[in-house]
Amino acid sequence: MEREVIFRIRRFDGEKTYWQDFRFTARKGMTVLEGLYFIKENLDGSLAFRASCRMGVCGSCAVKINGRPRLACETQIFDIGSTLEIEPLDNMPVLKDLIVDMDGFFRKHEAVKPYLIRRDDDYENPKELLQTPEELHAYYDFSLCIKCGACYSACPASATRSDYLGPAAITAAYRFCADSRDEGREDRLNLVSGSDGVWRCHFNAECSEVCPKSIEPAKAVQRMRLMSAIHMIKSIFR
Amino acid sequence: MKGVSGWFTLKGKSLNSLAYSFHRLTGIVLLLYLIAHLSFLTSLRIGEETYTAFISTTVRLETLPLDSLLFLATFYHAFNGLRVVLNEFGLLYEARKALIYLMTLLGLLFWLYSTYVMYLFLTGW
Repeated sequence: MEREVIFRIRRFDGEKTYWQDFRFTARKGMTVLEGLYFIKENLDGSLAFRASCRMGVCGSCAVKINGRPRLACETQIFDIGSTLEIEPLDNMPVLKDLIVDMDGFFRKHEAVKPYLIRRDDDYENPKELLQTPEELHAYYDFSLCIKCGACYSACPASATRSDYLGPAAITAAYRFCADSRDEGREDRLNLVSGSDGVWRCHFNAECSEVCPKSIEPAKAVQRMRLMSAIHMIKSIFR
Repeated sequence: MKGVSGWFTLKGKSLNSLAYSFHRLTGIVLLLYLIAHLSFLTSLRIGEETYTAFISTTVRLETLPLDSLLFLATFYHAFNGLRVVLNEFGLLYEARKALIYLMTLLGLLFWLYSTYVMYLFLTGW
């Protein structure tokens, strides 16, 4: 099955923003990313977008499609309709066309120490850190984040405060705080307990709605908030 | 950054964002009402005539629909706020959409009842 579709793309050339329409014949099963490649190869070679794995793993191709952040490689054109409005993600500076500067997003992710912290690190004599299935289950879902930035783009708190860590970074913090092998919980709680951390979230929960991996960042933020509240109360009595 | 428009952008968003936008909107309405309310009360310091003049312009039968809308904003904000508090305590997270419907319904019921009582009290219907 084939059908003519219109890709209405919000473009940016470094100076001005404008919309440009591209018409072409799409076939059944064609993804938005394939459509973008078709335009780049056949209609306008200057179109800029980011993509890599083409199978929903790398998170590079996240764009707004009809207002909703999605992975272009996982979205079929016919599932959306005949006219697709494609824009770069919100809350990040646009570099060119659909490419946004994710530097700040990754700096925030880096700030929450998203790695296992152990006090007994000994690379000469490594030891196995065992976990029960329950202990794995406590954080597993949250470890599936691909850092595509869809949640950050949909978050209204990130829209108004550039210093807010955002759902992805807080989810990463929770993923390690909930890990039974980790010993860096105190460090991370100090990092996310400020007004630029968990307390900035006003529970819109749109992050959970748009997450292409369904990892529920809003749930992680609320759990982190509870952890943070207990941490703050305990710190009063220390 | 998208800025404050990010609070009210609904295209492509879910029911959560609609509830969020209304919460912000009703919050602004209540803030404006609070400012007006405090201004009215402060006018008593100027004199009783000033206060009476203020009151006579707003407390009239024709402005009752506005009072009713204020009730709507208040009840929506209160019940939706309760929902947000519950969710932020990690309670009923999975049922967050059902909770939006429930709290909106409660807000509407309280609004209708309060409007009925207000009209009954002021007009004797």
